[in-house]
Amino acid sequence: MEKANKKSIGEILVDLSLPILLVALVIFFSIMTDKFFTPLNLTNILVQNVHVAVCSCAVMIIMISGGCDLSIGYQMSVAAVLVCKMMTVYGVPVPVALLCAVVLCSLLGTFNGFMAQKLKSNTMIVTLGTMAIFQGISYLISESKTYHNLPKSYMFLGQSKVFGVIPVNVIIMIVIVVIVGFVMGKTAIGRKVYAAGDNPEAGRLAGLNVAKIKVLSFTVAGVLVGISAILLSARSGSADSSTGVGIEFTGITACVLSGVALKGGEGTLWKVIVAVFVLGILANGMQLINLGTYPQYIAKGVIMLVSLYMTNKNSKAM
Amino acid sequence: MNSNRNERKGGVLTEVLALKNITKDYPGVKALDDVSISFEEGEVHALIGENGAGKSTFIKTISGAIKPTSGTIAYEGKEYPYLEPKQAIDMGIAVVYQELIQFEAMSVADNIFMGVESESKGLVVNEKERCEKAKALLAKFDCDVNPATLIRELSIANRQIIELAKAMVRNAKIVIMDEPTAAITVSEQEKLYQVVKQLKADGVTVIYISHRLEELFEICDRVSVLRDGQYVTTVNIEDIDKQDMIKYMVGRELSNAYPPKEPAQSEVVLEVENLSGNGVEGINFQLHKGEILGFAGLVGAGRTELMHLIFGNAKKTSGIIKVKGKEVHLSSANDGMKAGIGLIPEDRKFQGCFIDKPIFWNISISDIDHLTKGGVVDQKAEMKLAEDYKERLKIKTPFLKQLTSGLSGGNQQKVVIAKVLASNPDILIFDEPTRGIDIGARHEIYLLMNELAESGKSILMVSSDMEELLGMSERIIVLHEGHQAGEISKAEFSQERVLSFASGI
Repeated sequence: MEKANKKSIGEILVDLSLPILLVALVIFFSIMTDKFFTPLNLTNILVQNVHVAVCSCAVMIIMISGGCDLSIGYQMSVAAVLVCKMMTVYGVPVPVALLCAVVLCSLLGTFNGFMAQKLKSNTMIVTLGTMAIFQGISYLISESKTYHNLPKSYMFLGQSKVFGVIPVNVIIMIVIVVIVGFVMGKTAIGRKVYAAGDNPEAGRLAGLNVAKIKVLSFTVAGVLVGISAILLSARSGSADSSTGVGIEFTGITACVLSGVALKGGEGTLWKVIVAVFVLGILANGMQLINLGTYPQYIAKGVIMLVSLYMTNKNSKAM
Repeated sequence: MNSNRNERKGGVLTEVLALKNITKDYPGVKALDDVSISFEEGEVHALIGENGAGKSTFIKTISGAIKPTSGTIAYEGKEYPYLEPKQAIDMGIAVVYQELIQFEAMSVADNIFMGVESESKGLVVNEKERCEKAKALLAKFDCDVNPATLIRELSIANRQIIELAKAMVRNAKIVIMDEPTAAITVSEQEKLYQVVKQLKADGVTVIYISHRLEELFEICDRVSVLRDGQYVTTVNIEDIDKQDMIKYMVGRELSNAYPPKEPAQSEVVLEVENLSGNGVEGINFQLHKGEILGFAGLVGAGRTELMHLIFGNAKKTSGIIKVKGKEVHLSSANDGMKAGIGLIPEDRKFQGCFIDKPIFWNISISDIDHLTKGGVVDQKAEMKLAEDYKERLKIKTPFLKQLTSGLSGGNQQKVVIAKVLASNPDILIFDEPTRGIDIGARHEIYLLMNELAESGKSILMVSSDMEELLGMSERIIVLHEGHQAGEISKAEFSQERVLSFASGI
């Protein structure tokens, strides 16, 4: 029997479950506290999650290519301390420092991808190893210090607003999301990344250079991680070796929540971004209604399990 | 049903299992429609039908994997509306699935005795005793596998025998075998037939599912046919021939199993000289324009390996490959495609296509770089390409955006062929083109292959289906253990000749 292509109501609901969840959370927190639905707070949520969104783009690309990168947090850490130390200690001009951070992260990403290919090993295990290496490098660079007093032009990227309303970093995020969405969704190279992740063997026999595509995915993800490190340190105004650490888990959570397949080959960017803000609103709202960090962990976990249940149930029903 | 079946072969036989008026509804389709079949003690009862005829639903009803919508299951005199999986096992029903579910990294003895309660008394497993028991059990089947061997080190045929031994330990009265010979070699088939005969002699009822109709004459007593979820007939094996079986299965006579084709042209498009590597050695042949050249050999003879070598997906150690008179050096599948070679791999789901992606996506992927404007995929051009191939290959689907997994095996194969054709190759390699595809759809694939050859493409075909190979090829090259054992021209085609080369005689 051949399956018709029309989506059932259930499938459409699952498709829209994240936006629905987002709206429900907004309504819930607006009712619970009048501090939530204010221009200031909503802008805060946006601004605070800019680096998470950019980083989740990186996680998504890697996951679609069939990989997983646990070292992203420490890649960010290395980039953040490097760029900040260069500017504050050595007085390197801001643009040069920015470029260095991005180039460095793309190299770290490439190293991950290359090692996974060379060792013919699972990327999760490989990056578990490189994570430790990057952690060491980060502390060697930072000497366990925190770097403050960053140049004004650097802070501009994280703290200023265009026309006094639109935060600069939000604009940067939107530009990046649009570019990544376009490349993954509309271009031949994006199509190849999906193919390499979905079925590497079929991809190879269809003439694709699967190994190259997979390494390249890590390289591109590295660029995004570097940008994310800049956005985070520019907003917070400082950097140390704990900057960005643990962000890979938020990114992976957002990706899984949005239905990016762990086995590769599947994932939609807008859903990932919505998932990032679902998690962001959850954290912000729970803080405002005076639930501390620990209940937030529980809520995150529950949402994750419920979303897995929904996806599973739906795929079985087909 | 056949009222005089109890008189068959003189002996009085007792019915052990009967499915009565079984119907199974799935949304939008009746997988089984009022099917009644009974099985007798100690018989080998074949169940045949095209893919989608309802065979697997029928087996699942017996094994308790699904509950029928209506009907009853009578077993040793008692009637049940359905069976639970555990209940079916306890009652002595065992299934040997085509894709064996075994503990790969555990020993033969472990696999045989896993979960058998009498063997797990006490905390300590007596390894030696178990191994001896397993050995005795296997000796009965003439199988001299060491019980301490890990399952993953065994051949498929031996793994099936382990599965049967497992059933015996559990005192199975009914054993269901799902296409046991689909993936094993000729010599192993004989071994498996012996085991089936042994089971029968022990009074076990064997329900035997197979697409290889010839083998049914060797081991079966009766044959039941299903078609589109409905029961067609049950006949004694001596009262039927293959032609009739096919007629019952497809509901019509296939006028011409292997359609005729115009002969090849004289122009040589592919020359292989002394090619070695990837497990094959010293291969020499020429392929002509418009020719279908068959490759025969037992499993493991190196046919697929040779094809991957020619395609560029494996490294040659020596020898020359010439395409249209020019030597080519291939070091990847991509190189092969650039040289004008296309491969339709043997494993459709894992090598041939992206099963969870839409049809159009699959068709365009190997030519995606040519379907772009400045790197951006030209969706109109992409859909047009897919639409063209859908028309040309008669892919049956309402939407090109449908996921490939939702198609039947034959249509999936057409998607794979479309994907390969999209890169416009002159030489096509078909590796097991009709594996797992039912008879009606096979015919369409054959017509398509002929049409491609007549339009000037040249085809290398690997097949384990001897009739298909003899029916479709114009010449056959036989491989034996990685070497070229012989070449047979159309005038000399016979199964015996192919088999004697293939077995290295």
